[in-house]
Amino acid sequence: MFFRIVFCIFLLLIVSGCNIGPKITEYEVIYNGHNEQKQAESTQNHKNYTIAVIPKVSGIPYFNAVEEGVKEAGKDLGINVLYSGSLIADWKQQEAIINGYIEQKVDLIAISANDPEKLGTVLKEARKQGIRVITWDSDTNSHFRELFINMVDPEMVGRHIMDTLSSRVNEKGSFAIITGSSDAANLNEWINWMKVQQKEYYPNMKLVDIVETDDDPKKAYSASKNLLNKHPEINGIIGSSSVGPPAAAQAVKDINKSGEITVVGLSTPNLMREYIKDGSAQVVTLWSPKKLGYLTVSIAKELLDGQEISDNQYISNIGNVRVKEDTVIMGQPIDFTKENIDQYDF
Amino acid sequence: MISKLMEALRLKNFQLKTKLIITYILLTVIPMAVLGYITYYQNTKAIEEQVGEYVPRLLNQANKNIENEINEIGNLPNLIYNSSDVMAVLRANPYKDQSSMLQDQFTVESFLSRTYLGSNNTNILGAFLLSTNGSFISTRVAYEGFDFNNTLLPYGEAHDLGGDTKILLPNEVNLTFEGDPSYMLVVKEIVDLDNRENLGTLFLAVKLTFIEEILQDLDEEERATMWVMDDQGQIIYHPLQKKIGTYFEEIDDYPILNGSFRTTIEKDRTLISINQSAKQQWVLVHSIPITYLTEGTDVVKTVAIIIFLILVVITTLISIIVAWSVTKPINLLGRIMKDVENGNLYVKIPIDSKDEVGVLASSFQSMISKIRDLIKKNDHIEIRQKEAELYALQSQINPHFMYNTLETIGASIEDGESELVVDMVAILGRMLRFSLSNKDKIVPISLEVLHIEDYLTLQKFRFEERISFNIQNDYEHDVYFTPKFILQPIVENSVKYGMQKRKALKIEIDFIHEKSEIKDPHIIMIVRDNGPGINEEELKNLNEFLQKDPMINRDSGFGIINVHARIVMMFGDQYGLTINSAVDKGTEVMIRIPQLLKKQVRNGDE
Repeated sequence: MFFRIVFCIFLLLIVSGCNIGPKITEYEVIYNGHNEQKQAESTQNHKNYTIAVIPKVSGIPYFNAVEEGVKEAGKDLGINVLYSGSLIADWKQQEAIINGYIEQKVDLIAISANDPEKLGTVLKEARKQGIRVITWDSDTNSHFRELFINMVDPEMVGRHIMDTLSSRVNEKGSFAIITGSSDAANLNEWINWMKVQQKEYYPNMKLVDIVETDDDPKKAYSASKNLLNKHPEINGIIGSSSVGPPAAAQAVKDINKSGEITVVGLSTPNLMREYIKDGSAQVVTLWSPKKLGYLTVSIAKELLDGQEISDNQYISNIGNVRVKEDTVIMGQPIDFTKENIDQYDF
Repeated sequence: MISKLMEALRLKNFQLKTKLIITYILLTVIPMAVLGYITYYQNTKAIEEQVGEYVPRLLNQANKNIENEINEIGNLPNLIYNSSDVMAVLRANPYKDQSSMLQDQFTVESFLSRTYLGSNNTNILGAFLLSTNGSFISTRVAYEGFDFNNTLLPYGEAHDLGGDTKILLPNEVNLTFEGDPSYMLVVKEIVDLDNRENLGTLFLAVKLTFIEEILQDLDEEERATMWVMDDQGQIIYHPLQKKIGTYFEEIDDYPILNGSFRTTIEKDRTLISINQSAKQQWVLVHSIPITYLTEGTDVVKTVAIIIFLILVVITTLISIIVAWSVTKPINLLGRIMKDVENGNLYVKIPIDSKDEVGVLASSFQSMISKIRDLIKKNDHIEIRQKEAELYALQSQINPHFMYNTLETIGASIEDGESELVVDMVAILGRMLRFSLSNKDKIVPISLEVLHIEDYLTLQKFRFEERISFNIQNDYEHDVYFTPKFILQPIVENSVKYGMQKRKALKIEIDFIHEKSEIKDPHIIMIVRDNGPGINEEELKNLNEFLQKDPMINRDSGFGIINVHARIVMMFGDQYGLTINSAVDKGTEVMIRIPQLLKKQVRNGDE
């Protein structure tokens, strides 16, 4: 009898297709999407990066503004950012700073180079140690870095500065350029494009001199004075680095030629506000250095996350950026004039 | 094991018909049921798997579309950066006079209206720009709530969203639009990109119709429910508007957020496909009851079950018919056998099929007829035997014989030949004992020969010189056996006819052992006399008579016929008597019997 009951139960189980065993879950997975692995990887990658940003020189308002942007991005993106530069624009100082960062084993070094070639050795060494290298503001030779974050298209900015000057001097007369360091790649390229633009469109204008300032405000002021003494006939001055236009404006103001000599160039609104408002300078062009700092850190993070930067990519808090080969271009420069200079604070 | 099982289920005791029916049904029903079940199960599973794999892909695409839409919407606030007028207003310091404030308000609000409420994007219900300088509002339809002057509200303050676009759902803010459309608020910090300052916050109220449209494109199956929620389970979009903003608790139980699974609760099994967008972390859920997926299969299932039932009925009928047709002749045969068992040998089996049962029936039939024949034959042999014994006895207590013998004994006593008398009496006694000892039907040849010797000796005492005999005697007579009383009737005949005519009768009895390869070894007993012989006609009649069926002529008075019939019946018709005779020359009777050893005799007897 027992046997028969057992047999019947067994038969029933077979027929009903019951599976003996505890039901563990309420859900039975039928298809598992493949994305899970990727997600796990990306969360794993999310570690704390340390990025070192090196300016050409520390202490001048332009690079101080960059530092603000860098710090802001560091906070927003959760990245540990280091920002330090030498007090003078000198590649040797930068080399020392980089060596320090190599020892610290930072994840990425972003440098605004004072010399495109001479920093090569130390940058190569950094890359050998597994540190990624990018440049911003001022480029090195492309062998030494992954990409270059340019504020503007150098051709565009060079030609535009030339235009702002020529439109205010009625496309005639002679002018001079006050530049930073003669080694700085970006300044030289801009100056080059200014020359090209002048030759192409403004045959009545003449470039009489280019003076160096090493991005030192005092040196710039004295250089401007010398320039005005040396070439009393000039009716225009272009400052191609941020310390140039204020020094030139001050010099113009000092010789009471405000309005007669047109001062344009690349500088920050904060440095130029006074001069533009009182007419000793007409227009300065620049981008937001804060934005540049922010962008540098954002790009650094993208690179460390293993993302490619593509043309027209939207970068949070920056906007869309352009990419030309291995150069990222932040955007269009802003012209600061009497009308709008109060809107800007850097 | 199996026999135990059979015993346990008492299957052994079932009728063959029942067994056959059960076997047929099990052999057809179980495989069909199993096959059908497996097919259905596999089909359903395959459908589930297909849908389960297909839907997440669709969802992934839909999620991407939603993400793209949201990205686009998320990019809308950036349009503000394109307007230097608006940026100038936002960057401006607190106002000195009312007119410039109103002027600026007009500038910004007309920009908002132009940019966001223009004809190209009808999904945007309204734009609210909160800046440090004031609030700028432009909506497509009337709204309620959202009082910016109340500084206690969190959205009255400057948000620090770190550049991200945040999404607020209606239940998080007290904002309603006319007609109560479902919407979401896209919140974006307006940062002065150049000054790196926070200028304000832009709220864009976006109708959720774009999600609905995307899901509608995807939603081929009307019965499916699709909704969007964030990874915390807060429902962002649901076809039922009241659910938007509520929390979906079950998300914590879901085993995966990318892929498909089904609920294992049998009642309302549901296939849930789910996909999580990479950027927004939004979860798009597609839930459909499995019964709808397997509708097609269920029709097949119903049809299959109907076909199955019909087949079951048909196979059951067939099995009953087959079982019945198989068991019917067997039952019939069984009944007939029972009949035979009860003694009725004269049965007729009405089975003429050629199958095993037919063969069995015909075998049984022929067996019965053989038994019948054998019984008949045995009866005949028995009767013949009795007749022979009777004949032998009759011939011995025949008054004539007795008289003659006793007369001879008397004469001998008169002559004083007492020794002869003693011999004769002893012989007579021996003969009578031999005749009466009817235990054995078959005796050693020596005994039969002794009996004949005795008989002839008695005749010789009577007829003295007129009769003489010679019997070949050898040792084999003890070894081989012969039926009883086969010589006496023949010898008696010889004496009877021989004494009538001739004066001196001579009887010879010879034995020939024939051993041939073709036939079994046999013995021929030859009784030869020099009597009057039988004339040709009589001899012919006699031989003809011998050729006839021994069964029929059993009433014949001739002892010689009886002998022949007995031999033929016992050993077959290759044995028996042969008579050669010529008138006045004598007669030769040859009795052919098989060589019988004692062993064989016993077997034959028993």
